[in-house]
Amino acid sequence: MPTALSSTDDGIDHGPTTGDRRPGYVAAARRALGDVAILFWFRRQGVRRRHLARVLSLVFLAITLSAAIVPAFLPGARGAGRAFDILLLVPSGMAGILLLNMASAIASGGGRELISRDQASPYPISPTTDHLGALLLAPLNIAWMIQAWILLGSVAYVAPLDKLALAQVIVVLWLVFSTACGQVVAWAMEAIRRGPRGIAITRSLLVALGLGAGAVQLAGRTGPLLDRVPTVWFVVGALSGLTWRWALTAAVLVVGSVVAIAMGAVPAHLAARRMPRDEQRMETDQHEPRPMPRSVLGILIRTDRASVWRSVPMRRGVLVLAVGPGLVALFGNLQWSEMTILPGLVASGGALLFGVNAWCLDGRGALWRENLPTSPTVLFDARTVVLAEFLGVASMITVLVGALRAGIPTSYELAALVATLVVVTLQVVGGSLRWSLKHPYPVDLRSARATPAPPAAMVGYSARLATSTTFTGLLFSGSAHVPDWRLSLIIAIPCLMWSATRLLRTRHRWQDPVVRARVVSTVAA
Amino acid sequence: MSQPPVVDVRSLHVRFGEVEAVAGIDLEAYAGQATALLGRNGAGKSTTMRVLAGVVPPTAGTVTIAGLDIRKDTLAIKQLTGYCPDVGGLVPRATPWEHLQLSARLRRLDGWEERGRDLLERFELGDVMNRVTGGFSHGMGRRLSVVLAAMHQPQVLLLDEPFDGVDPIGVEATFEIIADARARGATILLSTHLRDLAVQACGTALVLRGGSRVAAVDAGEMSGEEGARAYRALLD
Repeated sequence: MPTALSSTDDGIDHGPTTGDRRPGYVAAARRALGDVAILFWFRRQGVRRRHLARVLSLVFLAITLSAAIVPAFLPGARGAGRAFDILLLVPSGMAGILLLNMASAIASGGGRELISRDQASPYPISPTTDHLGALLLAPLNIAWMIQAWILLGSVAYVAPLDKLALAQVIVVLWLVFSTACGQVVAWAMEAIRRGPRGIAITRSLLVALGLGAGAVQLAGRTGPLLDRVPTVWFVVGALSGLTWRWALTAAVLVVGSVVAIAMGAVPAHLAARRMPRDEQRMETDQHEPRPMPRSVLGILIRTDRASVWRSVPMRRGVLVLAVGPGLVALFGNLQWSEMTILPGLVASGGALLFGVNAWCLDGRGALWRENLPTSPTVLFDARTVVLAEFLGVASMITVLVGALRAGIPTSYELAALVATLVVVTLQVVGGSLRWSLKHPYPVDLRSARATPAPPAAMVGYSARLATSTTFTGLLFSGSAHVPDWRLSLIIAIPCLMWSATRLLRTRHRWQDPVVRARVVSTVAA
Repeated sequence: MSQPPVVDVRSLHVRFGEVEAVAGIDLEAYAGQATALLGRNGAGKSTTMRVLAGVVPPTAGTVTIAGLDIRKDTLAIKQLTGYCPDVGGLVPRATPWEHLQLSARLRRLDGWEERGRDLLERFELGDVMNRVTGGFSHGMGRRLSVVLAAMHQPQVLLLDEPFDGVDPIGVEATFEIIADARARGATILLSTHLRDLAVQACGTALVLRGGSRVAAVDAGEMSGEEGARAYRALLD
């Protein structure tokens, strides 16, 4: 995102006319913090539904407080049974959060932008500001929130009541520390990726990491490895109450977070000095002409497919989405009945790459496309097909990878999984196209860091998608245990009819020229 | 004029919520003629062009193109028109050739390839015809938008800011497109801020202000120093 020397690099008010015009590191950091506050305020001004944003913030606060307190009063809390099992899993959970923060920041090329590249171009925004902005936006993500709530809830369930508040302080500090570390790794990877032979190096690193994880799993060393994760030290400190051990743990996390936040600026500056190779390559790629498709729908689908697969955030995002959960399922030895949770997860993630603002694919070309003489329903159908196949293919890859060690499924397990796949795909496509029509945004999906809607809207979309698809996944997970394949089919039919009806309603609304003009004018703005 | 106008706009109003972008414009444009739409930013030029292209429906008033009502016969009107929008107008991850293919398929054109190649060459886009347009400069994008508007030799050519950021060769090529269209009897509407270029390309000029038409004059009256003064007076 940085496009010019920043106020932090070249401040007007402290820049002498001769000699070294660079401010010191502390002054630069202070200016960057000030810039983040200004940009955050600017973004807040753009929030359309202020009341809804306030309600959502209160809901988030209420859920967070509930997650941090309520489990402490549930039956079995602090007991020797389930609570003890959860206690053993807390260090692995903390390590998992660190890894997921890294993966998510790497996939988005250094985290999300507080202000888009185009909007930022006239202003002196430094890489440090960009880095801090990405850090600030990292929690505005339902995946991050769910992890945080689960960790807070788990600790509330296992910690002694008199030590709960102090334990949760350590959990919060861990969330800050792991997010900051994820950001450092992501910027470092982005700097490498943009360097000489960067793409080959990053791909090799990822393959080596995958193979290493596979080797550990195949050697049966996953359990012993998880038992020795360094996060055990933090859990012990968290549960120590008001002691020196707790104070030391908190101090280590505070210092570690400050160091990680400051360190992140170094690779962020390095990355900013290098050209984004993936994006550059995409924009200069030659695509040899192919024969004309026979039908109008065919050429519209081809155009939309090109818009999806030639976009860096979508290619990178779908790869992570398709392969990541599949590998987790593979290494976690997930059974067929449990795999019904995967398609919803992947389809929801896929929709968040572009589906929730599907008409933004045309960018400013939307105005020209709208002048082309074709029925609006054909345009709608083409976009529906492309979104459905994008989500469907990603889900299928996940399931195929996850199924490698799951053995041969029974007819009812297979029926449940296929039903889940079809139902959640239609569910997510329907929801996405409905939102695309209701709340279009002008978004340029060139940058690997671009998202199809503003951060607050993305949180709303992801929460709604996660809720509905998780419910569907759990429903079919239950039917996968009933030894009759027809049950899944019977459950699927009303779900499909409901989603299809809503999709057809959206298709009908798209035919209204006033609605279409609003969408087209907005995405082309 | 003995012939009826090809483009006939009566009391056109376009509202976006509280904002009235066009407030009662009347406009006639005839076959074989080029008409310039002049005016300041926000005068309603681009919105009027979007209405004529069938992209934005009118809130009130009547708009007919070749006798067809824009509300009822939108699809048929889109067949008749070629539109170069004011902003971008290009699908960012498609190549110029893919844009031409899409337009040709949707307009059911046959044997269009040679003309497509020729137009790309005339606008010096031949060597980038297989490159995605997302990496194009602003001027390249504008030139390609003109090519896309003109490729199917439409009966009504709508050019919204076609000269914006375009180099002299692109401007010349656009003049040729307008001249060719006039010669084959097409109606051209050209919206621009650049009075000099509008005067060169068009026979008639309509000046818009605050969403309304304030003058309809012979383009010659807008040329030179005198024309500049007259134009300024109309804008204030």
